[in-house]
Amino acid sequence: MSRPGERRFRARAVIVRHAILIAWAAIVMFPIFWMLQTSFKDSGEWVSWPPHWLPHDPTLKNYAQIFTFDVSEAGVAREATEQPFNIWGSLADSVIICTISSLVALIMGAFLAYAISRFNVGGSKFRHMVLLVRMIPPIVVAIPLLMYYAIMVPYASEAVFGARISLFDTRTGMSLLYLTITLPFVIWMMLSFIDEVPYSLEHAARIMGAGRIYTLWKIVLPLVASGMVVTFLFVFILNWAEFLLALTLTHPEVSTLPVLLNKFQSASEGRLYGPQAAIGTVITIPVVILGVLIQKHLVKGFSFGMIRR
Amino acid sequence: MAQIILKDLVKAFGSFTAVKGINLEIRDGEFLIMVGPSGCGKTTTLNMISGLVMPSSGEITIGNRVVTRTEPGERGLGMVFQDLALFPHMSVYDNIAFGLRVKHVAAGEIEARVRSAAGAMHIAGLLGKRPGQCSGGEAQRVALARTIVTNPAVYLMDEPLSSLDAKLRIDMRTELKNLHEELKGTFVYVTHDQAEAMTMADRIVVMNAGTIEQLGGPLDIYRRPATRFVAGFFGMPTMNFIDGEIVADNGAPRFAADGLAAAMPKELDAGLAGRKVVLGVRAEHVIARRARAAGTNPGTVRLIEPLGDATLVFFEAEGAERLVAKVDPDTPLSPGAPIHFRFDAASCHLFDPGTGARLN
Repeated sequence: MSRPGERRFRARAVIVRHAILIAWAAIVMFPIFWMLQTSFKDSGEWVSWPPHWLPHDPTLKNYAQIFTFDVSEAGVAREATEQPFNIWGSLADSVIICTISSLVALIMGAFLAYAISRFNVGGSKFRHMVLLVRMIPPIVVAIPLLMYYAIMVPYASEAVFGARISLFDTRTGMSLLYLTITLPFVIWMMLSFIDEVPYSLEHAARIMGAGRIYTLWKIVLPLVASGMVVTFLFVFILNWAEFLLALTLTHPEVSTLPVLLNKFQSASEGRLYGPQAAIGTVITIPVVILGVLIQKHLVKGFSFGMIRR
Repeated sequence: MAQIILKDLVKAFGSFTAVKGINLEIRDGEFLIMVGPSGCGKTTTLNMISGLVMPSSGEITIGNRVVTRTEPGERGLGMVFQDLALFPHMSVYDNIAFGLRVKHVAAGEIEARVRSAAGAMHIAGLLGKRPGQCSGGEAQRVALARTIVTNPAVYLMDEPLSSLDAKLRIDMRTELKNLHEELKGTFVYVTHDQAEAMTMADRIVVMNAGTIEQLGGPLDIYRRPATRFVAGFFGMPTMNFIDGEIVADNGAPRFAADGLAAAMPKELDAGLAGRKVVLGVRAEHVIARRARAAGTNPGTVRLIEPLGDATLVFFEAEGAERLVAKVDPDTPLSPGAPIHFRFDAASCHLFDPGTGARLN
């Protein structure tokens, strides 16, 4: 028995394992690191060669530029184009569109999932078909949707109501769109949580005289609350990062953050990497904060069998 | 007054008819147990009484009120579920108080009644805990306390003991029976366990394939099963069944199968003579000895199962594939040994081979 040999082998295995994991983490994290450090670089350093691994002359200019209220004072932006290169409008667009669409999707989806779980609405196979709509690549529907948003809905509304209602380039239009594309996810996720709640709990409540709404409110919702938080976060992130449809269906009034990110180019300097990196950082932070805040629910929501019977 | 009357009760789920027209009168204050195999319609019947399942046709009366279409909460029932259905996110106290809060009982009274119910079920110390922190037996008591606290006239129980281990289950039987004595409510209890039904019930309803096979007291059902199904369902080990026919032998009727004969009581209906029947006899009514005697049939022992107070002897004989006898534990028998047996004529049951209906 070569105990010392075995121990040495184990120690080496630990070192190798960690080396691989650290190398992999470095590869995965590098773009985020690069974004972070670029956001603190002045324009001269963005594309310098050899690259500066850390900003030699750290600056908050990029953040000042994207957070400025007075567009005319921000030098780079003024030279670039006429569009205001600050983040406030887009931030408001993104926050409002994503919050409203995710919340409405969550509420509708939770009730729909309840109906599917308890009353078998749509038949026994419906639950498996809910996600079918997600099998179509978004780009395929982008152009037909543009037709609806920019042409058919306005003309139809004019013909019927006498007033032109356009969904194109509006927060309402984007919220409706995000609601539609994330609802299947909400239903699908909430189904798995609601299925976990034994129906007999509701039966017991009903026998004791509780009505349907009271039972939902006091029994079902508290038991799936963690699941709802997880689901909300999931679809919020989906909406927050959605780019393709937002790019197609908005311009110039509404612009979500991912779309804004794409606009940061100037004629004289090409891509404005500094402000872009700053915006990238700003977009990422809320999601990370949200994730940390609801970590407790994430663990609970993702561990199946969360309800002890 | 809380007698329950079920009239022509039918429940169909699509093309499957779970309950096929049941008529049943459950007396006020009685402990009635519905028993039968899985899928016999007993739980569906219970759920129709509770209102959780709407009958396809028929009528349900509780007390003197027709409640066929009444909401479950307005029928004055308490129910204990198979999985107990305790609310996992609420404390034991809140679980017990739930029904009172729904009915807007005053806060002070809720407190008093919850404490009294918890005291009655010996769980006063658990009120602050969550159901998940309770043991199986404790959870059972919480479920019972939650049911008795609203003081219903009718208690419905759907296999409430099935989640407990064997020892606890037997203890809880006694407690449930005592609880019934104290509360004097009408208990309707569903189980697939014939032993549970025998030990607790005032009357038993035996169900099979959506119909009632027999309604009667535990001993009636054990001693005079109305059908072959009931005979086979009750009793451990399962009753012996032998196919054969009745031979009228000059006023001394006899049961005869291939190479097997058994004397029948003299008062047996003469009309049965020459008829094909299934003979049913319980293990304790099979008299088995090593020594040959008048009127016995020979057989060969296959397996011995000592129970302590008695021994089960499984044996083969001509005319019957596999028979079982309950014998004195000191009877010297071993597998492979010859055995001689006869049946206690007065305790034999005769059934129709087709319909399974009792003939004697």
